[in-house]
Amino acid sequence: MRLSECIGMDPAAVWGTDFCVYFYLGDFTERKRGGRKVSESEDARFRVVGIRKAPILQMKPEAAVRHRRIPLFSMAVLGMILFGCLFFGPFLEEKAVYMELGQAFAAPDFRFWFGTDTMGRDIFSMIWYGGRISLVIGFLATLISTGIAVVLGTVSGLAPGWMDAVLMRFTETFLSIPGLLLTVFFQAACGKTTVVSLSFVIGLAGWPAMAKVVRARVRQLKGCEFVIASKCMGGGFFHILRQHLAPNFFSSILFMMVMNIRSAIAAESTLSFMGIGLPLEIISWGSMLSLSGQALLSGAWWMIVIPGGFLAATLLCVTEIADAVRRRGGEMR
Amino acid sequence: MKGKKCIFYIGRKLLSILVSLWLLSFAVFFVARLAPGGPLVSYYGERAERMTAEEREMARERLLLTGSPVKQYVRWMKNALRGDFGISFKYKRSVPEVIAERLGNTLVLGGCGFVLIFGLAVLIGMLCAFFANSRTDRFLCRLGTILSAVPEFWVALVLILIFAVKLRVLPASGAYTIGIESFADRVRHLILPLTVVVSGHLWYYAYMVHNMLLDEMTKDYVLLAKSKGLGINRILFCHCMRNVLPGYLSIMAVSVPHILGGTYIVENVFSYPGIGTLCYESARYQDYNLLMVLAMLTGAVVIVCNLFAQMITDSFL
Repeated sequence: MRLSECIGMDPAAVWGTDFCVYFYLGDFTERKRGGRKVSESEDARFRVVGIRKAPILQMKPEAAVRHRRIPLFSMAVLGMILFGCLFFGPFLEEKAVYMELGQAFAAPDFRFWFGTDTMGRDIFSMIWYGGRISLVIGFLATLISTGIAVVLGTVSGLAPGWMDAVLMRFTETFLSIPGLLLTVFFQAACGKTTVVSLSFVIGLAGWPAMAKVVRARVRQLKGCEFVIASKCMGGGFFHILRQHLAPNFFSSILFMMVMNIRSAIAAESTLSFMGIGLPLEIISWGSMLSLSGQALLSGAWWMIVIPGGFLAATLLCVTEIADAVRRRGGEMR
Repeated sequence: MKGKKCIFYIGRKLLSILVSLWLLSFAVFFVARLAPGGPLVSYYGERAERMTAEEREMARERLLLTGSPVKQYVRWMKNALRGDFGISFKYKRSVPEVIAERLGNTLVLGGCGFVLIFGLAVLIGMLCAFFANSRTDRFLCRLGTILSAVPEFWVALVLILIFAVKLRVLPASGAYTIGIESFADRVRHLILPLTVVVSGHLWYYAYMVHNMLLDEMTKDYVLLAKSKGLGINRILFCHCMRNVLPGYLSIMAVSVPHILGGTYIVENVFSYPGIGTLCYESARYQDYNLLMVLAMLTGAVVIVCNLFAQMITDSFL
């Protein structure tokens, strides 16, 4: 067994070390299968049997560099989109909501850079103005699902066995329903959609997987001396969570948080596209795409390709960044 | 595991399925009833708006919608246990009938999609592992990242735009042309939805196979096999694949819900008459009875798949 495996780390995490030490840990598989007791002493089961160059260093140098690279390009593109939406978006409101019915379905030209939609609204302005909503929903939904996941995961990790079992069953039931279907149900129950209610619904569907990770980490941590000491000194639940637990499991859920932003933005656009998310008058990338049925009939490709392109670019950049976060924060598998 | 122990194991699993399903039915029932508006509109259409309070009450009575939610739930439960799932408000026919009509279509789309993903992922994963860190590997990984990051519905839209609107070679919606019910026609309707379903999920699993294989390649038995003079092909295909397969199977079983969820969206974009469009309609128009059965059906598939995955893990890993 490799060192990295017995301390539960990704091989990539043992980066600084030049060598991988191999331990012999008794025959785990035998013990598990036959229920046979292992009589060897702890020392005998845990001894170094070999050493060789860490596999990660067998990578070619350029591959290793690629492994650690910061996604500069993605960050730049995402930064540009964010900047444009946050700083130019508000100034373009007037143009984005103004309907010039005589100019409906105009193809991209000098006056309308990205063309106009079925109601004669300027798509270029709508992109920047509506992008704000899409991004806000992404962040807000992630905040909500992270909040639920952290609290529930910690409670479940610290709680006595039966409560833990109940909470985990509950989480698994949630986890087992496809996320988007869950959102559709909640959305149907919510009635009228606003930006906040939609982010709430999306956030409500996104927490189970993260809660499981938090719970696993908390269970590992709760036996640690510093947690016990804090408890003895009368530290409350939220104090322990904030001071002692959160800093330790934060790196494990960071990757999931970034991915959550991605899936929240995707969920918003999918729901709005299907006509159960944001209504047409609240401009977002998703609600712009909900006009695509008419766009297909009239062959107005710019109404589909341009908002979708921005959406896809954003999602791609977020994914790349999440991937970099995962590779850096070794202990995530 | 054998004999008594095995029976105990299966019994416990069955019990957990039942508990999960019951929880699910409970949750869906109450969440659905929180919604404003009501199923009367979906049953009577425009007429519901003009009804007097009395007529409304009578209509509710007829659709078994009177009483407190708890009472309604108990009544639904009793009927469901006897095999009576009520009628769909929108289609005005019994729920199993409505579902049975559409189930085949979804099974064809989902089943073909699943099999394609399952097979192609192994192939691509092996290809990538074989050319690890080469240009081919990197290109495939990059393509995979791009395709899996883009939302499915947009891929579907772009494909419709290209193949149905601009080139006019493939149909844009439905499962068959009305009037022509030939096999070839069905296949033509399947191509685009299937492409979207497969392209959205394939890469993720291919990547997984690739990672698992690379992980396996660092193990000592590979070193031994190499020192015995076996070629890399043989080691990869005969030795590593065997070790990777159980893990892969269990992951594929867990991922059924994701592929199912993806199929639902794709069905909606292509207005493909399947369970996905039905789900969407029932949630949107508060077709309670239909919604309940669909949720339970999806939930059951998911739970059984999870269980299956767990059993694979328990017995092989």
